[in-house]
Amino acid sequence: MSTPAFVQALYDSGIAVWMRDSLKAMPLIEATHVLAIATVFGTILIVDLRLLGVAGTGRPYSVVAREMLGKTWTAFVLAVITGALMVAPNAITYYGNTAFRLKLLALVLAGLNMVIFQLLTARTMPTWDTSAKTPTAARTAAIISLVLWTAIIFLGRWIGFTKGYDFSVPEDVQFEFPQ
Amino acid sequence: MLELARQLGTSGLSQAIQSTLWLTPLLQAIHILMIGIVFISVLMVVLRILGRYRADEPFTAIWLRFAPWMWWALAVMAATGLVLIIGEPLREASALSFWLKMALILVGVLSVLGLRRAAAGFTGTSMPFGTRLAATVVLVVWIAIIYLGRSIAYDAEIWGSWSLGVYA
Repeated sequence: MSTPAFVQALYDSGIAVWMRDSLKAMPLIEATHVLAIATVFGTILIVDLRLLGVAGTGRPYSVVAREMLGKTWTAFVLAVITGALMVAPNAITYYGNTAFRLKLLALVLAGLNMVIFQLLTARTMPTWDTSAKTPTAARTAAIISLVLWTAIIFLGRWIGFTKGYDFSVPEDVQFEFPQ
Repeated sequence: MLELARQLGTSGLSQAIQSTLWLTPLLQAIHILMIGIVFISVLMVVLRILGRYRADEPFTAIWLRFAPWMWWALAVMAATGLVLIIGEPLREASALSFWLKMALILVGVLSVLGLRRAAAGFTGTSMPFGTRLAATVVLVVWIAIIYLGRSIAYDAEIWGSWSLGVYA
């Protein structure tokens, strides 16, 4: 597969070189990515379970959503930044990786699901905001959201097992198990 | 301990887990989903103590809302974690990050129970400074657990000669 110029440029960028050369940067960035994703998933789960009428029904949907919104977006921005730092040093292999492409697709679909919910379903919110019985469209949006975010986490983990590496571990680092 | 881990690694069960290639990523993905539930549950309990989440409700209401989710998710994490350990016992046993993580999980669980004791029955907005400080420390402990979990795969890079594996 030929490599597009922007992928090659990302691979050659200063930050990508620095990530490849630094031993401790990748584990720290990856752990921060896990922390960010855990926060994104957890806060979205709280909102979606309220939307399904399963949990947190003692409070209006709008209140539950408002309490989580800032946390979700802050964590999402952190996930994008750390994710980009993970992709850059491996940009060429990520570009050709099926799990990575499917993960980006799932992210776009999750965004579309959110936009459609906000533009259409949320307009009738005053009629169901305080009720545990939410409209079918709202429940459908919640289920789609949970399926997509679960898929995003699974695909993310699958990238790590399928992408391989296009750089080698520095020679002075060897980790040997006792025989 | 390393010898024990080496023997466990040659057992039939461990070999079966190792040869089922899709099992490890599947269990790890479930493990990460559960991190989301546990971490958010701890975060909400801590934020309530700090008076920054549902401060209009008594502490017990927030505890009862999130504690069941936290315990169930922790149980799933223990189960998936155990299978992952049996699949790669030497990798875990030779990682300093792994042992630190296990110790911090014990601290994390006990300290969450301690927070519940300290904050039970509290209905006001602002809790005593000591309780708020303890809650912040508990949150840091759980964040550290996540970092140590990811560090198991990079133990030599993170800890150098402190890593329990042979570091050349």
